[in-house]
Amino acid sequence: MTVTPATPSPPAQTTPAQTTTAPAPVPRRRLNLEPYLYLLPHAVLFFVFTVYPIGYGLYISLHRWDLLSGQQPFVGGEFYRNLFTPGTPQFDFFWKTLWNTTFFTLVSVPLLVAAALGLALLLHRPIFGRAFFRAVFFMPGILTVSVMGILWRWLFDNQIGLVNAARDALFHAPPIPWLSTEGLAWVPIVVGTVWWTVGFNMTLYLAALGNVPLSLYEAASLDGATPWQSFRFITVPMLAPVTLFVVVTTALASFQLFGQSLIITNGGPNRSTQSVIQYITEEGFTNAQYSSAAAMGFAFGLVMLVLTAAQFRMMARDVREGGA
Amino acid sequence: MARTTSPRTAALLALLALGTASAQTYSGPNVTLTFLHGFTGPDRPVMEGLIKKFNDTHPNIQVRAQAQPWATTWQQLPSLVASGKAPDVTVINEDQITGFIARGAVSPLTPAEMKAAGIDRSRFFGPLFATADYQGQSYGVPVSSVAYVMFYNKDLMKKVGLDPAKPPRTRAEFLAAAQKCTVDKSGKTATQAGFDPKNLDTWGVSLYNNWVGSRAAYAAILQNGGSMVDKNQNAAFNSPQAVSAVQFLVDLVQKQHVARPNSTEEAELAAFSQGKVCFFPSGQWYLDRFEGQKMNFGVTFLPRVGGNVRDAAWGGSSHLTLPKQRAGYDANKRRAALVFMSWLSQPAQNLTWTSTGSLPTQPAVAKNPQFEKAAISGIFDRLNSVYATSGYPWVGQVMAPFDQAWEAAYLGKKTVTQALNDGVRESNKQIEQARKNFR
Repeated sequence: MTVTPATPSPPAQTTPAQTTTAPAPVPRRRLNLEPYLYLLPHAVLFFVFTVYPIGYGLYISLHRWDLLSGQQPFVGGEFYRNLFTPGTPQFDFFWKTLWNTTFFTLVSVPLLVAAALGLALLLHRPIFGRAFFRAVFFMPGILTVSVMGILWRWLFDNQIGLVNAARDALFHAPPIPWLSTEGLAWVPIVVGTVWWTVGFNMTLYLAALGNVPLSLYEAASLDGATPWQSFRFITVPMLAPVTLFVVVTTALASFQLFGQSLIITNGGPNRSTQSVIQYITEEGFTNAQYSSAAAMGFAFGLVMLVLTAAQFRMMARDVREGGA
Repeated sequence: MARTTSPRTAALLALLALGTASAQTYSGPNVTLTFLHGFTGPDRPVMEGLIKKFNDTHPNIQVRAQAQPWATTWQQLPSLVASGKAPDVTVINEDQITGFIARGAVSPLTPAEMKAAGIDRSRFFGPLFATADYQGQSYGVPVSSVAYVMFYNKDLMKKVGLDPAKPPRTRAEFLAAAQKCTVDKSGKTATQAGFDPKNLDTWGVSLYNNWVGSRAAYAAILQNGGSMVDKNQNAAFNSPQAVSAVQFLVDLVQKQHVARPNSTEEAELAAFSQGKVCFFPSGQWYLDRFEGQKMNFGVTFLPRVGGNVRDAAWGGSSHLTLPKQRAGYDANKRRAALVFMSWLSQPAQNLTWTSTGSLPTQPAVAKNPQFEKAAISGIFDRLNSVYATSGYPWVGQVMAPFDQAWEAAYLGKKTVTQALNDGVRESNKQIEQARKNFR
């Protein structure tokens, strides 16, 4: 960046040069076409794998759809109405599992953001074994969800889990039936998810911390700021854009909860940890109610869109204000 | 067809002596068949070996097999059939087959076709073959079978004074044996005063809360003369017979204290492996594991814990089927496909297939001397009483609420009656919706 001050004059020269060599209006049409040609490969993929499936999904959700059936009658909003008609299985379970998923998001996002920031603050400092610990916290993220799920199911098993064994060995405490008690069944899922994914957020925060100018801290300490004040009034605002990114992506990822609760508790007990995606899958592929599942997919998508937009607006304002 | 008398075929025919019927041959022009199946695990090479053998012995039929995960096939089959690109032969499992039949994805096998191909249903275990029946017609031939069984620890039984050569068969025998096996840390058994069910050293039976655990309840209901659905195919697993059968199992936990509450399949599996529990009802697929551990164990059919109407256990099975093809489909292909199905389900091939851990699909194979010393042969006398979840198009809509009901009852969250009633209510709501798809 320090070399650039010498270059203001060349642009002044090149601009007229370009205009003189630029051909007359005729090729303008060619110029218009070219960018679209570059976009074409992506556009094809985008239409084939995004736009078309969404449109087809919408079609499915509005018809009683079964490829094997000769006719696929139009049923309009019937499958959407089911979601708002008390007494239908969809009314009972869609909202229940949507709440389960929301609950998981509300609990796991603050943990995943706070733990990631805490770890990043610790590992940003030149402590002994820094690279090793960074690797240790990042590493669980490379496991597949099945490995992670089985591991945490074992740790929290009602009878043979390490957690209950440790409670017994240390405190002679009776075993807790983690996996089959409503409420408690969330513990292995949430703790496991934090352990599994915190490393990615931590890495983002580490990168962001590296970009905070040290001069700000130096100036603050000259003014007599305490470490807490430095953190509160320098670190937090400087990290605001990254925090926005981390919160939004983590919330979206949390809403997509599926594998962890499927493997650790299979949604139980009494569907108390069943995620909305697991329920949609059950409706589609266990019950062969494709149209109903498609309708729920759209309803869920809409809910997520609204939540994300709201979150984005709220946090983007904070970022602007914090940055100003 | 002079070629069919090659030495290899002669040897094959000799092998068939352990069965009765022999597969008919196909004498039409050369055809190539596509065969889609889900045997993607260690059973895959065995299936590939069988197909190679078939291709070698049937020069005018070439079978091209494709293995892919079952769930992928369930998702693809409708569009393959709808677009007229269905494989010539497909394997469909018991929980899916009636749904596919009812939706018209599979074509019926007429008695004349089966006779011409040498498929004789009386050769097979009756309920197993009937798994792929629907409204009086046959749609599939069983090729692979698994079942719910009861493993028992011989050493532990001996230790508590039970005869390991005589695993329990009735409800009374079972309860008595389970009580003897249940000993707390101070040495008191389940029937003695001062017995502490919270500190068990060993216990009678493994019950647990997942879908595998709920198959014990499924068996108990059938044993007591109950069924999962009524004659209109609505959920009916809350009949008095069902309530009484499931109540006995729940009482084993809550009243008799011979099974641990709040347990998981993994915990019970570990407990059985460590010699902590006498009876471990589960899938026969755990056989390998216990054999590998050099345990002194036996395998028996599930005792009649539910009631004394009949023997019953849950079973899973895979069936060779002919998907529906578009008009103008080559009749030679269908004939050849039937010959292939017949050949693959013959005793000699079924015997080979049992090396994958599958159970015999027919008595002729179960009688093979190869099994005499095998632990699994302990269930062979009652293989004819293995019942799959099949026969109605909405197996998912019945079994998922049933599994939930078992979980609630086993964990003590609801009474048995309430749990089963709630399950049936939920199931029937879903069946009512599913019916609209089958008009």
